[in-house]
Amino acid sequence: MAEASAANTQLLVRDLTVRFPTTRGTVQALNGVTFDLARGASLGIVGESGSGKSVTAKTLMNLLPRTAEVSGDVIFEGEDVRRLAREGREHFWGVKMTMVFQDPMTSLNPVKKCGEQIAETLRYHLKRDKKTALAEAEDLLAQVGIPEPGKRVDQYPHELSGGLRQRVVIAMALACEPSLLIADEPTTAVDVTVQKHLLDLLDKLREDRGMSMILITHDLGVARGRCDEIAVMYAGRLVERSAPETLFSDSRHPYTDALLRSIPRIDQPSHTRLEPIPGRPPELINPPEQCAYAPRCRFAQPDCLESIPDISGVAGMHEFACFHPANTDRGREALAGNLAQGRTAAGLEISGAGASS
Amino acid sequence: MKQFILRRVAQLALVFFSVTFLTFASLNLVGDPLFNIVGVISGIPDEQCEAVERGEMEDTQSSGLNLGDCALIAQAKAQNNLDKNVVERYGIWLSDMMRGDFGTSFVNGDEISDIVKERLPVTIRLIVLAQTVALGIAIPWGVASAYRANRGFDKASTIGSFGLLSIPNFALGVILLYFFTLRWQIFPSRYENDGWWSELKALTLPAFTLGLGLAATYQRLLRTDLITTLQDDFIHMARAKGMSDRHIMYRHALRPSMFSVITVFGVNTGALIGGALVVEQIFSIPGVGTELVEAVLRNDPPVVISLISVVAIGFVLINFFVDLMYGYLDPRVRTS
Repeated sequence: MAEASAANTQLLVRDLTVRFPTTRGTVQALNGVTFDLARGASLGIVGESGSGKSVTAKTLMNLLPRTAEVSGDVIFEGEDVRRLAREGREHFWGVKMTMVFQDPMTSLNPVKKCGEQIAETLRYHLKRDKKTALAEAEDLLAQVGIPEPGKRVDQYPHELSGGLRQRVVIAMALACEPSLLIADEPTTAVDVTVQKHLLDLLDKLREDRGMSMILITHDLGVARGRCDEIAVMYAGRLVERSAPETLFSDSRHPYTDALLRSIPRIDQPSHTRLEPIPGRPPELINPPEQCAYAPRCRFAQPDCLESIPDISGVAGMHEFACFHPANTDRGREALAGNLAQGRTAAGLEISGAGASS
Repeated sequence: MKQFILRRVAQLALVFFSVTFLTFASLNLVGDPLFNIVGVISGIPDEQCEAVERGEMEDTQSSGLNLGDCALIAQAKAQNNLDKNVVERYGIWLSDMMRGDFGTSFVNGDEISDIVKERLPVTIRLIVLAQTVALGIAIPWGVASAYRANRGFDKASTIGSFGLLSIPNFALGVILLYFFTLRWQIFPSRYENDGWWSELKALTLPAFTLGLGLAATYQRLLRTDLITTLQDDFIHMARAKGMSDRHIMYRHALRPSMFSVITVFGVNTGALIGGALVVEQIFSIPGVGTELVEAVLRNDPPVVISLISVVAIGFVLINFFVDLMYGYLDPRVRTS
């Protein structure tokens, strides 16, 4: 997304930083997150819990608690989103920018009929009358592939399965024809058997409607093949960002590398041991001035513990934030040195098994 | 649904029978109703009258009537079924009651059905008004408190509601009377009923006296439930749908947060049917509560038992209504 395509850029996020003051100290939930999203494109944001991917979505959607301290720029279709939030702009969220939540079991109002909940958006934002709105709701239910939409309109959420409910949530998000849909782990809470259907549906709807999408997931496999670009987050920072093919074949950040090793692959012989990532996600309260991944990184060198690597590289092509990237000579050297010593600079004990290629 | 109603009807019957029988029996254990009918001669021991019957003694005439004392007692007992045992009398009372015959007062001979007809509507109107005041205040108040929980307004509300809860009815009633009747002369000091407008005016202060305390209770409950509901995902979802906070509070959060309020609402309504007597006394309202206390004090079992059965039926009916409300508030209750 270089300057040449700036006109086509729909969402511009610059140096987004979010802090939550708590009694134990300030949580640094998001640190200088920067990315662009082209009109009609899809971006996958991948990371483990606490990596800041949901906070990113909530910041965009203006859903952060009032206590959050936010800085940085969010520009959506030429409008300063944070200013809209301050001014209390109506009919923006839920119309142009909408969101699908993780758990369809809890994200629908249990005491309202499904049709009513979809119609509510249409009535609230587009001032449709009740009858038209309900007819449109039924139509939307059909579009998201719900069988017997006429019957579902009059059903309560608890009468539907998880997969159907998530489709209702998607229908609700689509009601006002948004130009950006943020899907926060849309398939995590549903049966594996319906996951693919839902993801395919989101893909198809995105293409049909020319809307862009941010797909938030902890599953690299979900993002692969469905996103034009994948951004990997760790401890509130973007650590690597590239096209999916590059990421899967030529990952640079050791965290991405480790993530790829921790998922089973069909081309590996069966019974290949998966490699868990050692250690735990870092504390976000008063983190030390070092690479947040260093304590768990097999490549960690003394310089990783002294400063935080910036994200750099060819903008829009392949960017990463690492001093000793995997799949490079520097990285291989660092790993070989660590393996020889049996421990990394951060004191993590490592062994030769599963050495980086 | 059919089963649900059947179960409720069975419950109603069970509550009705146990409450009335226990009341009936206990009224016969304390005090002697005969005293209220015939006066001091009720103290004549049974053996003495048995001796009169056998012709061993002369029937005295302390009452000044043509009949002798023992004959008088026997007549009174026969008229009021006092010669039968408690279970038999309960049976007789019950069958009369079922036919709409509540009997008459032992003390002044009034038709009890007239007493109920006169007193119950006043009490019901007072309760409806008091609960309307209570909910009308508590809902916006609770919503405002929960919206910014633990902030300035909420903290002030906590103090305010505990204040209202701790003022007893009689104190609040007197305070209201002082300002609104004595100082500003907006409302009448006594109950009057010259048409609905005058009655509404007369019931306003008592309704507030009862309603303010209830409002404080409901506000506390609603606030707590709302704060829990506001953590729910569907509230975040509603916010993501771009709804205004006001819309979210009233259209999404309120209904699922009404359970505790509705429960306590039912219990309070039942309790107020016979229990609003302090307020009824202060404002001289001819309600059920006042009559009930008076009947107990003058040892008038037929009136007491009738009023208590009215209260018991009211209690069960209100709670039946509350159970129906649960189903309305949360459709998941309907299927389970």
